[in-house]
Amino acid sequence: MTTAIDIADLTLHHPGAEGGSPALSGITLTVQPGESVALLGASGAGKTTLLALCDGRLRGWRGQVSVLDHPLSPDKPPALSARVDTGFIFQEFALVERSTVERNVLNGRLGRMPGLAAFFGHHSAADRAVAYKAMSEAGIADLAHRRVDSLSGGQRQRVAIARCLAQEPKLILADEPVSNLDPARADDILGLITGAARARGVTAIFSSHQPDLAMRYADRVIGLRDGKLQFDRTAAEVSPQDIARIYHEAGSDAPLPPQKPGLRVVT
Amino acid sequence: MRPREASGFTLTLLIAGAVLWAFVSTEVDLARLFSSGPRIAEFLGRMWPPSPEIMSEILKGSAETLRIAILGTLGAVLISVPLGILASETMTPGFIHRPVRTVLALIRAIPLILVAMLMVGAVGLGPLPGIIAVAFHATGMLAKFYAEAIDGVARAPIDALESAGANPLLRLRYAIWPQMAPVVARDTIFRFELNLRESLVLGVVGAGGIGFYIQTYVRSFQYDKAASVTLAVILMVVVIEGFNVALRRRFS
Repeated sequence: MTTAIDIADLTLHHPGAEGGSPALSGITLTVQPGESVALLGASGAGKTTLLALCDGRLRGWRGQVSVLDHPLSPDKPPALSARVDTGFIFQEFALVERSTVERNVLNGRLGRMPGLAAFFGHHSAADRAVAYKAMSEAGIADLAHRRVDSLSGGQRQRVAIARCLAQEPKLILADEPVSNLDPARADDILGLITGAARARGVTAIFSSHQPDLAMRYADRVIGLRDGKLQFDRTAAEVSPQDIARIYHEAGSDAPLPPQKPGLRVVT
Repeated sequence: MRPREASGFTLTLLIAGAVLWAFVSTEVDLARLFSSGPRIAEFLGRMWPPSPEIMSEILKGSAETLRIAILGTLGAVLISVPLGILASETMTPGFIHRPVRTVLALIRAIPLILVAMLMVGAVGLGPLPGIIAVAFHATGMLAKFYAEAIDGVARAPIDALESAGANPLLRLRYAIWPQMAPVVARDTIFRFELNLRESLVLGVVGAGGIGFYIQTYVRSFQYDKAASVTLAVILMVVVIEGFNVALRRRFS
């Protein structure tokens, strides 16, 4: 593998908003295999859109995008065999509420199993071992036979992470994995995701709107604002000016002033 | 008066007028109601004690009603699965699901007893017209419920399995079916309970089941036997309802 993600001059409009300002514009970036990267920005900056695009879920964009050395097409979804290698942790978890924790985690294995065995639920000992290792790593092995609708938000988050790890992805994408958690739990979850990725030598990209957490857990931080890349540095190099550039006034809901082109930094 | 108050006043007048009209034109005579009190008491008195000697008729009639409800529900399920898919907003475009939903609403608007009378005319006496009538009548509700079960499935888990590389069949098996199955089971049990209650009266129009005996005994003035059948019907409804409450709890 030469790059985990390679994006050149990407522009994307949300469906139905083709006339307005693009959700992402002029994005060029490269992520090396094994890196842990944080996407930082306010709500609406384009973090979720960029992650969904890397997961192969969006169409109709312009530019070149390559994920795990497979070029994505703006016209058709990627092959399922390619999607298996990209694991996605959804902000709202996207679990099957009525199924057990074990079933939800095994669902992460479906793409790696022969179709008929998967349909009838015949998971090999090896499949179960991978799923149970993922559950213990996420700290939910004792919840294996509980139904997801009986779990707390933090526990559900861990089930979603275990499902992603059970998939044995080469690239882990996590959309706002800690936005609904209190600070202590947020540390645990980001430690879990980036730790699991580093232990496996795989790439992890997570989005966040909390600069301190992004700098603590990522090797590299990419700042987005209004769909444009604002900075792209190692975590240690991120300056307070960078943070100010993407947030304008931190913690304020005041409307943002028109952006000056001179502030744009594209690496 | 403001327009809102005016329309409220008109509505009140209309309702009062309708009630008065109904009273006057049916010649409700309160004196007659009170004077027939002893007759009603005597009628109820003749229903007691219930006759114990018609146990075999009761069992036969109940068994036939149960068969009508079971086969009628089965028929309704078989018709409702394809119709439910066609009536679902997420599975078919508007020019298909809107007319299908209209047809289902029309079916719901026809009372079961009316369908049964027509079916007796079409296929003759016995349980068969009852089964057809129940299947037809129940489809109006069941297909609508199935369509709602399909539309109520959350999209996110399906997308998540697709993102993990699961093919469409596996997504149906592990993301759609677990969400749908309990709703479908609960709705079907509910409809079965309604079918059983409603098919109790089918015998009155000759469409089979225990209702036939109630009608026969009342017409031949054997009120003690009619009372026995009525008690059996009440018992059957209570038992079935208890059974269904237990089943539905399992599918919550």
